[in-house]
Amino acid sequence: MPKRKLDPLPTAAFQILLSLVDEDLHGYGIMRQVEQQTNGRLRLGPGTLYSSIQGLVEEGLIEEIDRKPDAQTESERRRYYRLTSSGRKLARAEAERLADLLRVARAKKILRGEYV
Amino acid sequence: MSERVFALLVRLYPAAFREKYQQDVLQLYRDRLQDEPGPVRKTRLYCDLLVDAAVGLPMAWRNSYGEVASTRVATDASGLPSFHMLEREPLRPGSVIVGCVFSLTALVALGMVMRIPAPHRYSNSREGLSPVETVLDRLNRVVSAPTGNGDNSDTTTVNGPSSQGQAELRPGSEKAQAKAEPLTEPQKEEVLQGVSDNLTARYFDREKADAAVEKLRALKKQGAYDGIVDGPTFADRLTADIRSATGDAHLNVAYSRNSIQNAAPSRPSTADILRYRAMLAQENCSIEDAEVLPGDIGYVKFNSFPEASVCGGNLRKAITKVGGTRALILDLRDNSGGFPETVAEVAAPLFARTVAWYNPRAAQSATTLKPARGSTLANEPVYILTSPRTLSGAEQFTYNLKMLKRATIVGETTGGGGHVGAFHRVGDHFGIGIPETKITNPYGGPDWDGIGVEPDVKVKAADALGEAEKMAAKRMQ
Repeated sequence: MPKRKLDPLPTAAFQILLSLVDEDLHGYGIMRQVEQQTNGRLRLGPGTLYSSIQGLVEEGLIEEIDRKPDAQTESERRRYYRLTSSGRKLARAEAERLADLLRVARAKKILRGEYV
Repeated sequence: MSERVFALLVRLYPAAFREKYQQDVLQLYRDRLQDEPGPVRKTRLYCDLLVDAAVGLPMAWRNSYGEVASTRVATDASGLPSFHMLEREPLRPGSVIVGCVFSLTALVALGMVMRIPAPHRYSNSREGLSPVETVLDRLNRVVSAPTGNGDNSDTTTVNGPSSQGQAELRPGSEKAQAKAEPLTEPQKEEVLQGVSDNLTARYFDREKADAAVEKLRALKKQGAYDGIVDGPTFADRLTADIRSATGDAHLNVAYSRNSIQNAAPSRPSTADILRYRAMLAQENCSIEDAEVLPGDIGYVKFNSFPEASVCGGNLRKAITKVGGTRALILDLRDNSGGFPETVAEVAAPLFARTVAWYNPRAAQSATTLKPARGSTLANEPVYILTSPRTLSGAEQFTYNLKMLKRATIVGETTGGGGHVGAFHRVGDHFGIGIPETKITNPYGGPDWDGIGVEPDVKVKAADALGEAEKMAAKRMQ
């Protein structure tokens, strides 16, 4: 059993898992989706993106799909990725962990303005 | 950052990663380049890529690639030997550290090698040339460095810092090298006339000069020189004849294969002098070693007595630095001489009183040496190490200190380099060395010329340092 690289789950990996919740995406799509869902704060570079993807694939949290579903707009064959059930489970667990943290933060009243 | 540059950056990723994702990575780069036009966005993209390399590279190297390799092994297992590229596996931290250590070691070693000074070598002691030939050769060339004491513009001292002092006594003995055209009678006549004229005009003992000239004339009449067509042989004969007539072994006639220019060597230019001094400074004024040996013994090895104005201070400093110890060893085993002024300057701190100082090159040969003020060396026992390579100025130093009973000489008899004589051109290929002043040796008796300085303690030159150390230690007890 190799050492678990994704524990704790890095931000990039978590964002990738979240980006794949709604639909299967290729690398560039994941990057755009992550950028969108973080309001442009996180733009994954190619090295980080594919290293994370590789890590997630190795851990069985996402998987590659052979056929790309959207044939007419794309000229080249691209690798698409899909969230696996264990990936979905891990993403949910991570979200709950963060929600717990948020609850604690709210109780301690360290949040201000619109977040309170 | 063009795509090519980015592709180079991608090469830093593990091979297995590249094999799988290189196309995707480059595709993503192209996509972004296409979707993000304008200089601001492009700059942002480049910044992203650099940050990405910093974050993504370690991440990629942390991923495991074992599965790829193991599946390959499994498919290849057909009983045939198979080969696998180690590149598939990521570099282990140990390998990286070993690589770093090796590179650093190599770098440090290179740095240290570059700091080691090149072996001291004089520009004028060229291989295969005797000192006399060197002088003749030098007369032909523009002098590239100051050539010593006595600024006679038309003469050059024979006994420069030479490496083969003994050869000076055998002028014209390099027959093997001579492959010149045969001498003609008029040429020989010219040489004879030139030698005679120079002897008459310059030799300090007029009577002997006349006797020598007479003898040459008589021999010529007898036909003793008929049939000699070889330059070196002729020079040898003339040397033998004038020596036998005068009894002075300093006289010599030399032959040079190269034609000797009539013009006197031009004075060295300021640039030449500066270059020469820079060279001396670079070679640390020929000081090879200056340290305090175990047992509180100062040790200095220096291989010449370079020009006093440039190096006198350096030599004295080097010696003073290791002085004040219980004994001082001066290693002259590879010292080939130099400037008499420097010899005196180095010797001065060793004395507390004014002493008679012998310098065969000075016009007035017996001079005195005034002690340096406030020297800590005056009462320190001094040992001088000698070898057959100890020559000229170094012999003067050794001889004088021995005569003054200021030092114990340990090693082998020195080379016995001749000391004086100004060189004059006679014809195109001949020259004559003539001592022009009568030398008085204040210590009496013969000096080292031709015989060398005998050590007080005779041991092999290689063992001289050990012996001197032993003697110094014994004396301290």
